[in-house]
Amino acid sequence: MRLETRKLLDKSFSGLGLFAILIMSGALLVILAPIFKRGAEALFFEGTVEHRRMLLDKFERGNRAVLEEEIARVKAVRQPIYDILDRFEDEQTHKLNEIIRACEDLGNSEGSFGKRIKRRLNRLERAETFYDRLKIVRDISLRAEKYNGPVADLKHKAKVITELVSQLETQKEPFFQLKEILHELLGPAPGEDLPVLIRKQYGQSRWDRAQVKLHLFFNVETWDYSDPSKMGQLSYTPRVEQFRGTVLEELFPYVEQNQKELLEPRWTFYWGFLTDKSMDAHMFGGIMPEVLGTVYLTLGAIIFSVPIGIIAAIYLTEYTRGGYMVSFLRSCISTLAGVPSIVFGLFGLAFFINTVQVSSSKSVLAGSLTLALLVLPTIIRASEEAIKAVPQTYKSAALSLGAGKWHTVLTVVLPSALPGILTGIVISMGRAAGETAPIIFTAAVSVMGALYNPIEALSHPTYALSWNIFNLSTEHEAVDEIRHVQFGMVMVLVMIVLLLNLTAIIVRARISKKLQT
Amino acid sequence: MLKTKSIHSPGNIILSSKENFVRRLSGFLGRGFLFLVTSTAAVAILFIIYFIAKDAIPFFQIRENAFAEFFTNSHWYPSAEPVQFGVLAIIIGSALVALGAIVVAVPLGVAASVYLSDVLPFSIRQFVKPVIEILAAIPSVAYGFFALVVFAPLLQKQGGTLLSVVWWILAIPLSFLAVMVLSDLLTSKMSSEKRRKTGRAVLVVILSGCVFWALYSVGGALNNLNITTGTNALNVSIILGIMALPTVVSVSEDALQAVGRDFRQGSYALGATRAETVIKVVLPAASSGILAAVLLGVMRALGETMVVWMASGNAAQIPVPWYNFLEPIRTLPATIAGDMGEADHVLGSARYHVLFAMGLVLLLFSLFCNLVSEWVVSRQMKKLRGGA
Repeated sequence: MRLETRKLLDKSFSGLGLFAILIMSGALLVILAPIFKRGAEALFFEGTVEHRRMLLDKFERGNRAVLEEEIARVKAVRQPIYDILDRFEDEQTHKLNEIIRACEDLGNSEGSFGKRIKRRLNRLERAETFYDRLKIVRDISLRAEKYNGPVADLKHKAKVITELVSQLETQKEPFFQLKEILHELLGPAPGEDLPVLIRKQYGQSRWDRAQVKLHLFFNVETWDYSDPSKMGQLSYTPRVEQFRGTVLEELFPYVEQNQKELLEPRWTFYWGFLTDKSMDAHMFGGIMPEVLGTVYLTLGAIIFSVPIGIIAAIYLTEYTRGGYMVSFLRSCISTLAGVPSIVFGLFGLAFFINTVQVSSSKSVLAGSLTLALLVLPTIIRASEEAIKAVPQTYKSAALSLGAGKWHTVLTVVLPSALPGILTGIVISMGRAAGETAPIIFTAAVSVMGALYNPIEALSHPTYALSWNIFNLSTEHEAVDEIRHVQFGMVMVLVMIVLLLNLTAIIVRARISKKLQT
Repeated sequence: MLKTKSIHSPGNIILSSKENFVRRLSGFLGRGFLFLVTSTAAVAILFIIYFIAKDAIPFFQIRENAFAEFFTNSHWYPSAEPVQFGVLAIIIGSALVALGAIVVAVPLGVAASVYLSDVLPFSIRQFVKPVIEILAAIPSVAYGFFALVVFAPLLQKQGGTLLSVVWWILAIPLSFLAVMVLSDLLTSKMSSEKRRKTGRAVLVVILSGCVFWALYSVGGALNNLNITTGTNALNVSIILGIMALPTVVSVSEDALQAVGRDFRQGSYALGATRAETVIKVVLPAASSGILAAVLLGVMRALGETMVVWMASGNAAQIPVPWYNFLEPIRTLPATIAGDMGEADHVLGSARYHVLFAMGLVLLLFSLFCNLVSEWVVSRQMKKLRGGA
């Protein structure tokens, strides 16, 4: 090979390595960027008046006087919408009454036909709602169309009635949908009974979600399945088309012009996201219970694993000189580190819950014990490394001063190894906080009654960030509505883990600097 | 007067026989205690094997022919009538994503570790290391969430474009290099300098034409790819590959570091470039360590639960053809995690025990991988120590 080619290969070889490093860093950025960007939106967003109303109602937060003023203002802007809806209903009733009058006209005709129509018309008195009456009228028109008597005019009249009824009927479903989406956007209409579900008691609390709803307000989603080889194609048609020629036509330009006035979005820093409990399956409120659960589990795991881990490290480094027993122990520890996390979960279920029965069902205690086993190898290894790094001279000096072995370990070795051991502990905490698989069967639940204090929590199941991220993003009934909560949870979890790891990295850097000098 | 009985007082340096006995006893007991605590780890792994096996074995006793069904039937219908517990498709799904993860992680990871250990100066390495540590630290559920919420929709909408862009980025430099080297090798036997030059130029033009045409057709095919669902084996493989990267990098970097300086210096002294040194000397010497890295990466990918549960589509089927990574698959950990919710209130049923049987398969495989990688690493250490 030529020298130039060899040089080129050499350069490209280095380039390949650089490329790999760049890809790795790029992957990290690509993964973290959306998590942090959209996670931040859970805390920092344009909150609408509904958000402030919810905070005042449910968390007693905010200035009541100011808010009431604001609500009155918004109410005034919203009133025309409900007026238009009322006018539309009036218009519909008016149309129906005209049809009924036409029916009565039919009923006045001679013979058994007129009697039959009249009998049906009598039912109208008992009908309560608009749509009940519409149904009866439809019935009449169907009957009238079957008329095959001598008067030709009647048949024509029946046809006209049918047409008018169909018009009213075709607007029924779209009108319901319109009211439904208005409810989702603005909350209950004035005078409406307060719904039971909290999510139905308020309109959109976030401006970004409100914009999605506004888009759905102006447009109707239609799926096109005409091409069987492809998946359904989504397209939007303006909703106003459904109400051409009715009063409702005015509604759309009005809403378009007053979008912001209807909801009064304002930039909000919702710190309560971290300290509030959730409302109505995370439709409102924060993630404090999940954070608390993660903290309980993590601390529990650390409390169980640290003493064992440090003692094991002391034994392995200071009290043994090899041998089969020790290499067996080391093998076991490294094997334990390689056990898949889901197997830890199965073991926790089979041993801690079904065999030892530390609790009757899932509990923080069972979860902590399982997680403790999971992080044990990490703690042992880190502590071993730290103890090994303590210079031999320290130990010799202590021994020469007459200290016993155990005394030396306690007063000289451990204190100087402490930063290294802490690093291991902190990294293990990050691991324990982030793990999901071991706690699925042993500790985590997605619905539970009350929150417990740490002691009570030991024997009760708990929320946990990692589990609830999974639960909310796959099993929640309105996955798309609470994306911000999911992202917020992921961000908080990643932040906890990263902060712990950052602490470890900094401590380690300081240790290595100390060792160098 | 100070009454000190401790060893610090100079008068009591020589202990009485009773004191001596107490001391020896307490020392012995202390050591015993330490040993007991340390063996917790050993007891734990033995308990894990025992308790998983204890709940796994009933599955093979309850059902007739369970063993054959478990490993050769690919129909997983745990709640249908009649029930079928064929795990073959799920095992293949697991193997498939592990393979995919390795394809992503090993080239990248080994290249990165070589760069870290042989090319980068120490000062810069300190800034790269945290990147790897953070990649390793991000919780698996966060990776899974990313795969499900960000990556899957992207793959579904712009998957073809994305793949073809990746293809071009990877293929162009590599094929350029290949053309250069190939033309150089083919013309190296020519006698005169002038003929060699013209021959090389001609070859470069011809070869690059061919290669470009090949690249273009593959890129076009990728661009037109219709991806029906974003939650598929490809998605999971890429994410698992990224998750396995830190393991692969750190283990293979250790292996590369273990190859002493003298090997490298010897190679440089013979006139080899850095690339030649690494490829012909360092990598072969570290090959077993890198094998260990690959095994540990496989384990990481196989044992991962959340990512595959959230983003693999969870369809218990063998893709057609088997290497079709664009189809949804199902894996062992995801099945255990997902089905236990429906199975654990029917404690003792076949449905409950089959999940433990899957756990046992997973556990035994990871034990095997772990032992092999440990053995391989220790053998390499011995060899290098003997050779140096």
